[in-house]
Amino acid sequence: MLTDRNLNISQYIAEAIELEMAADDRILVFGEDVGRLGGVFGTTRNLQRRFGSDRVRDTPIAEMGFVGMGVGLAMAGYRPIVEIMFVDFIGVCLEQIYNEMAKIPYMSGGRVSVPMVIKTAGGSIGDAAQHSQTLWGLLAHLPGMQVVAPSCPYDYKGLLAGAIRDDAPTVFIEHKAHLLLKAEAFSHGATVPQDAYVVPLGKANVVRRGSDVTVVSLSNCVNLSIEAAVELATDGIEVEVVDLRSLVPLDTETVCESVARTGCVVVVDEDYLRFGMSGEIVAAVVEQLGPQAVRGISRIALPNVPIPAALTLESEVLPSKQAIVSAVRSLAGSQ
Amino acid sequence: METSTVAYRPQVSEIDLLRLMIRMRAFEEVVITAARAGLIHGELHLAVGQEAVAAGMVGTLRREDALVSTHRGHHHALAKEVPIRPLLAEICERATGLCGGYGGHMHLFCPEVNFSTTGIVGASIPLALGYAYAAHLEDHDRVAVAVTGDGGAQTGAFHEALSIAGAWKLPLVVVVENNQYAISVPISAASPTKTIAERSPAYGAWGRTVDGSDVETVMNAFADAVAYARSGEGPAILEAVCWRFRGHYEGDVDLYRPAADKDLAIAKWDPLIRSRQRLIDRKVAGGEELDAIENEESSALQRLLAEVQKDPLPDPVNARQPFTAPRAL
Repeated sequence: MLTDRNLNISQYIAEAIELEMAADDRILVFGEDVGRLGGVFGTTRNLQRRFGSDRVRDTPIAEMGFVGMGVGLAMAGYRPIVEIMFVDFIGVCLEQIYNEMAKIPYMSGGRVSVPMVIKTAGGSIGDAAQHSQTLWGLLAHLPGMQVVAPSCPYDYKGLLAGAIRDDAPTVFIEHKAHLLLKAEAFSHGATVPQDAYVVPLGKANVVRRGSDVTVVSLSNCVNLSIEAAVELATDGIEVEVVDLRSLVPLDTETVCESVARTGCVVVVDEDYLRFGMSGEIVAAVVEQLGPQAVRGISRIALPNVPIPAALTLESEVLPSKQAIVSAVRSLAGSQ
Repeated sequence: METSTVAYRPQVSEIDLLRLMIRMRAFEEVVITAARAGLIHGELHLAVGQEAVAAGMVGTLRREDALVSTHRGHHHALAKEVPIRPLLAEICERATGLCGGYGGHMHLFCPEVNFSTTGIVGASIPLALGYAYAAHLEDHDRVAVAVTGDGGAQTGAFHEALSIAGAWKLPLVVVVENNQYAISVPISAASPTKTIAERSPAYGAWGRTVDGSDVETVMNAFADAVAYARSGEGPAILEAVCWRFRGHYEGDVDLYRPAADKDLAIAKWDPLIRSRQRLIDRKVAGGEELDAIENEESSALQRLLAEVQKDPLPDPVNARQPFTAPRAL
């Protein structure tokens, strides 16, 4: 089964959209190069051929125009999926995203819903300051928006279907380092059913059980955390890895249940440290469990500089397996 | 700029049109009363003097056509037949308001008549573009109207939305309510073109600049703009030049427009005075009859405010609800 279905992540994404579009005529896809090309990473491949250029449409480079168009279509009863090629470009249309898409359900007192997905790629693959960010902390900070970022093939397909079927505005952030990887490259969630299914939004996934330290993460840092956990296990340190899957909704229950057992938490985040996910997770743990329940806290995230170009510089600022191993060792050793 | 050079093609009777404009002005007047009475604690942007731009859409615009308006949009709401009581109640921050008090005067939503507003200048145009695409998908002769101002016409959103609408021939009508100032900056200091409508060839759009204080001129031009968009030819830009009688917001000291200019402008650009005189000249109505209409509309709105004032305020217990399922009015 796995051999037959050993596709790459971009194919699973296209498959999820195709299945949802076949089931619901109201779903539309807009974005730069999503039609003829099938997406710069291939995540919308074959969709225009199957569903036509009215439902799957290449847009000009006019994000403010076509994101706003998506919001208007959602208000008119459609379920648009709008692609922003790289999440870094969101600045040019943030107005429509945070002032219109995210706020209209609340501002209208629930009169108008905006069942829309922004699908975008984030994360570092060596493209430096303007093409490497994740920005999920920024998007999660703004009220009204759901923010999803998967870590494995099973979740890419299932969480995207969940986001498309959900009535709330949602940003779905793919990791660029994942998109062209085959399923067999993943150590968890590598088996992907052919049929449609949904991974519900807001339920974290404990991807590895352990009793010594809890590592909380998202997207590609989950994969790094698993690699670190495998290495640490050879020294007898058992790490529990929690994949948040989404920042909004945030499953603090699963996180706190784990930290209550281990007493130590390491948050690994490929977003900026300051005012971000790592601080939010630590605050939630301390508020809910009380300071006495937590013996050790560590945060691994991007230092507050833009992402540099040269590999030597980039490696220094990005979370790494080695940084996770060191952080966990230091917490485990202090017990 | 075009004035009444073409014959009046009535969509609505002249007297009903004047009555609607009188209602729009009386509405803003009770809103001012409400603000002074402390019923509204935020900013207010009123459309006194700009009534003809909204009233000129009546008759041509259908209920199924979407209208996306701006921070200054009470008169557009009335033109689109948004129910007046929940409209006033929303502006007065009441639980009985259109949006239960969550939106306020700049964020009005009435999906039953396809009306909405946004408080962000220029942002109405991409939103209306979405409704225009919906009409395209359904192969329907609906149009979508975005209202913006001379200020909004300088935004990237104006350019991007019109580029897309032009390239894809979408039925988008952009009504530029050009009140000649973006807060303190006159259009001459902000626009590379003398008019906004002269940009229309760049977008493959229909375009016309008209006197926005003359409701019949606006009505004729709006009917032409909408007919063009309904025919599937692409977008239209109708620029209606008018004058904002009050400050940008209530409380704006407005020292940027010289007092003498303002007095002259108000005398020149008042759509109510203009229509009233025209109806009297045409012997459609006498002065006394029109006075009576003004009194009726004003009294009705004062009574409405008195009622709305007694409505409950939103319960703070509900401030945190996220609203995921749509709620009917």
